[in-house]
Amino acid sequence: MSTPDKKPMVGRRAPLVDGVEKVSGRAKYTADLDHRGALVGRILRSPHSHAELLSVDVSKARALPGVIAVITGDDCDKPYGILPIAQNEYPLARERVRYRGEPVAAVAAVDEKTAEEALRLIRPEVRELPAYYEAGKARQPGAVDLHDDRPGNLEREIHHEFGEVDAGLSAADVVREETYDCAEVTHVHMEPHAALADYDAERDRITLHSVTQVPFYVHLRVAQCLDMDESRIRVIKPFIGGGFGARTETLNFEIVACLLARAAKGKVRMKLSREETALTHRGRPRTRIKLKIGMTREGKLTACACEVEQTGGAYGGYGIVTILYAGALLNAIYDIPAVRYDGYRVYTNTPACGAMRGHGTVDVRHAFECLLDTMATELGLDPFQVRRLNLLEAPTRTINDLVVESYGLPECLDWIEAVSGWKARKGGLPPGKGLGLACSHYVSGAAKPVHWTGEPHAVVNLKLDFDGGITILTGAADIGQGSSTILAQVVGEVLGLDFDRLTVIANDSRITPKDNGSYSSRVTFMVGNAALQAAERLKAVLVAAAARKLEAEPEDIECLGETYRVAGGQDSGISFKDVVSEALVDTGTITVKGTFTVPREYQGGKFRGAGVGPSMAYSYSATAAEVTVDEVTGRVTVDKVWVAHDCGFAINPLSVEGQVQGAVWMGLGQALSEETRYVAGLPVGPNILDYRVPTIVESPDIEVKIVESLDPGGPFGAKEASEGALSSILPAIANAVHDAMGVRLTETPLTPDRVMAALVKQARSAKPADARGAA
Amino acid sequence: MEYLPEFDLLRPNTVDEALSLRRERPDARFLAGGTDLIVNIRRGIAEPGTVIDLTGIAEIRRIARQDDGGLKIGAAVTLAELLERPELTDEYQALREAAAEVAASSHREVATVGGNLCLDTRCLYYNQSEWWRSANAYCLKHRGEVCHVAPSGKHCFAAFSGDLAPAIMALGGTAEIAGPDGRRTAPLGEIYQDDGAAHLRLADGEMISAVQLPAAGTWQSGYAKARVRAAIDFPLAGTAIALRTDGRALEDIRVALTGTNSCPILIAGTDRLLGEAVGEEMAEQLVAMLPKQIQPMSSTFTPPGYRRKVVANLARSLFQRLIEAP
Repeated sequence: MSTPDKKPMVGRRAPLVDGVEKVSGRAKYTADLDHRGALVGRILRSPHSHAELLSVDVSKARALPGVIAVITGDDCDKPYGILPIAQNEYPLARERVRYRGEPVAAVAAVDEKTAEEALRLIRPEVRELPAYYEAGKARQPGAVDLHDDRPGNLEREIHHEFGEVDAGLSAADVVREETYDCAEVTHVHMEPHAALADYDAERDRITLHSVTQVPFYVHLRVAQCLDMDESRIRVIKPFIGGGFGARTETLNFEIVACLLARAAKGKVRMKLSREETALTHRGRPRTRIKLKIGMTREGKLTACACEVEQTGGAYGGYGIVTILYAGALLNAIYDIPAVRYDGYRVYTNTPACGAMRGHGTVDVRHAFECLLDTMATELGLDPFQVRRLNLLEAPTRTINDLVVESYGLPECLDWIEAVSGWKARKGGLPPGKGLGLACSHYVSGAAKPVHWTGEPHAVVNLKLDFDGGITILTGAADIGQGSSTILAQVVGEVLGLDFDRLTVIANDSRITPKDNGSYSSRVTFMVGNAALQAAERLKAVLVAAAARKLEAEPEDIECLGETYRVAGGQDSGISFKDVVSEALVDTGTITVKGTFTVPREYQGGKFRGAGVGPSMAYSYSATAAEVTVDEVTGRVTVDKVWVAHDCGFAINPLSVEGQVQGAVWMGLGQALSEETRYVAGLPVGPNILDYRVPTIVESPDIEVKIVESLDPGGPFGAKEASEGALSSILPAIANAVHDAMGVRLTETPLTPDRVMAALVKQARSAKPADARGAA
Repeated sequence: MEYLPEFDLLRPNTVDEALSLRRERPDARFLAGGTDLIVNIRRGIAEPGTVIDLTGIAEIRRIARQDDGGLKIGAAVTLAELLERPELTDEYQALREAAAEVAASSHREVATVGGNLCLDTRCLYYNQSEWWRSANAYCLKHRGEVCHVAPSGKHCFAAFSGDLAPAIMALGGTAEIAGPDGRRTAPLGEIYQDDGAAHLRLADGEMISAVQLPAAGTWQSGYAKARVRAAIDFPLAGTAIALRTDGRALEDIRVALTGTNSCPILIAGTDRLLGEAVGEEMAEQLVAMLPKQIQPMSSTFTPPGYRRKVVANLARSLFQRLIEAP
């Protein structure tokens, strides 16, 4: 792909293009932006879990000196939501509040103290309603519906069957069923939510800087809720301190900031506290999974039946997508002849769940890999053997119409097995130590976009001018995952140029092309392909110019990046700058565009719900974990993690490794210590002391292997490299804990109290006569 | 980060100056590292109009060897400074282990000995924002009428969560207290009482100025802490043990616990073990003394049953470690 005498741009372990700004502190995040003259925006939040909102008296707050604007649900009667079919949320509650923490009113004041005082003066009057904090309670007969159009509090019920499940289970030698209960978790991105909204009253225009992963969707919803033409709105995404899915939909504070700015006819800055960020939530729902697997004596899967219930929270959000992903991704990793899926997404009086890294699949994959392990143990089969017996053969189309073109899972398994010393060590570790294995996969971009407009999935513009610098204009949101770096590497590779000629400008709706945003691991694959096409088009322009200058045919021109010459000739050629000067003659500034559209055949089947799950490519991971279980404290320590990830092709191996390590840490948290919990709807740990994200002390030694299956559709063969590995971490750790203890815990996280309870139970059943118990 | 209200910040240079400022300002609170107080101020559970910063007082920032071979540690000595002292490794292992397990390294750079001893009690219904607590009608410890942990009673069960206190109590340490009526010393355990809303028995205007450890002699000691993460977290339960043996029989022992009650607990009745042969049987006898003397409640994210179980396990394994030590 690259010219012979030049270091390739793709496949290079390049530091991130914006790394210097971040490590030097020069990067400006939303809260760092110039807020001179900005008012302080604050939100009043409901203390009630579920109540009719009879009135909100703001007269005293309005009268307080220093208060410039006070708004309530009366100021916006347009519901919003990420999915066009589930828009049931208002930026400020109207008629009903449905969770503790829901925004009820907001103020813009001259300073923090005044804003705080104003909030205290607002008096909502309510009539309380029964509240439900668990899916089971919300689904009970007679429960009050949170939303009138959703009887029984079921946001969506799904019943899919592909293949003959009952026949498959009958044909199995062993059928096992187990129920798993995975706690709700939240993202804990480092940067709390913030927004800066500036309303230009003379021109009726608004500029919003926000922490979003999806500036385009924010743009749409702000226009909708403020009832303004989209052309009057400008959305800019500054540096972002992580997202992990929390920011893949428009969030209430973003709209509230804009409503406040308009009401105040000025600039409003909102900085949410860590607690408010937790209340805004959109994390992974508590998920109960009843899973049944049929298997032959040799370990071949015959069928699978899976029932999933998600405690979804008070509003729609991405809920329908989450519950669909949970079922769809039972497929496309192993060859299962028949799969039945029953999914229930339930409304409850808790903050709304949403998309979180590994959207929909993480908990179900955990259950599947755990049950696979349990059954392998029972049948006396090696966990590697069981997985190898059920591998797919790419290319293939699954029973639910997912197309798998590249499949590096076999190589992932081989590497893990070798480096972990599995064959020699498994079963022979000292007491309290264990080894576990699990696999996972994920989409490289959802083939069906949220809004079906007929536009391409991605657009990238390149600008080349007199200065010889190439500006890459993209709407893809770099939120720390490194997408801007990847796009620069793709463009640089095609044109044979290094980073010093390339500048990425991302996310200003006035400047950059629309992009659907950073979610479903779509950017490298989709925007990368658009960048590839744009770069090829620019190269054609430059080659034509070089041909004119060198008086040769374009097909005879060899592009060496900084030099263009006639291929095979003795001439040293002409410089890039000379080529650019020639290219600009008669045209001036060159702008080219590249686009990418997922072909129809990858966009899934025709059944209801078929739109969630399809992707042009799937990443694959295999993980082995080695753990120690401390019998004194019940604490699990992860000593070592080996993870092999098939990302198709590593455009930036350094970045891929970083993403995979991040997936290990995130998985470690969900496996061992992270859970949200509510007392009567109030979050118990809405802070990073009680919500226990692992620290560097908990970090195991991590060994990452990049497997390159070269996907035919990906840019240079690349697929996703961040979400896929996460799903294998939880079950690998759980399987290792099982190996260490001989007991299977079916709840996550595996906190010391849960492990201790299991140890005590185990000791009691081993020594029923010993009244004291043990451990 | 929640909004930090305004307060006056005063920086005295001597203990006497600090005490007189405190007398003049009834709304004042002493501050050292601020890792507890500032968080509480942001949450609205501490609302001092004046904050008296003690870190500029040289006399309480010193560690000094005493004539009797003991050690005097100033209250404003940071945990990081404390951990640099070789005496802790050689003589007061329990204190070294306890200090090393407080929060994380960045906290220990500023957190102090006195601050850890005077740490406010903690409860999941208390260590929350103003919005959270008001939504829950506050609690008995602050502004409310009801203890959400034990709604039928009128007692606050917020848990004492300091790591140093049990270690110092096991080591036989005393607190030096400076107050309006001069200086006094008391066994450290005597400055606490088992009431989550008023766990410190310091008179108005008093402060801990130092702790004194007796000469270590042949005492062996250690501290063991249970928590979910190996850094940052407060103890779900902690056990400190100091003991002396003649190689076979137990000569003396002190056991102190944290995280189980609203104050650190010095386990009573251990004198029954003196003169007996140390070993597994004695460990079980010791563990059997604990349940009646502790009362973990649902004040933490982690259930009380676990804390009850783990504190016994910690005591057993720590005792074994100490008697097996060379």
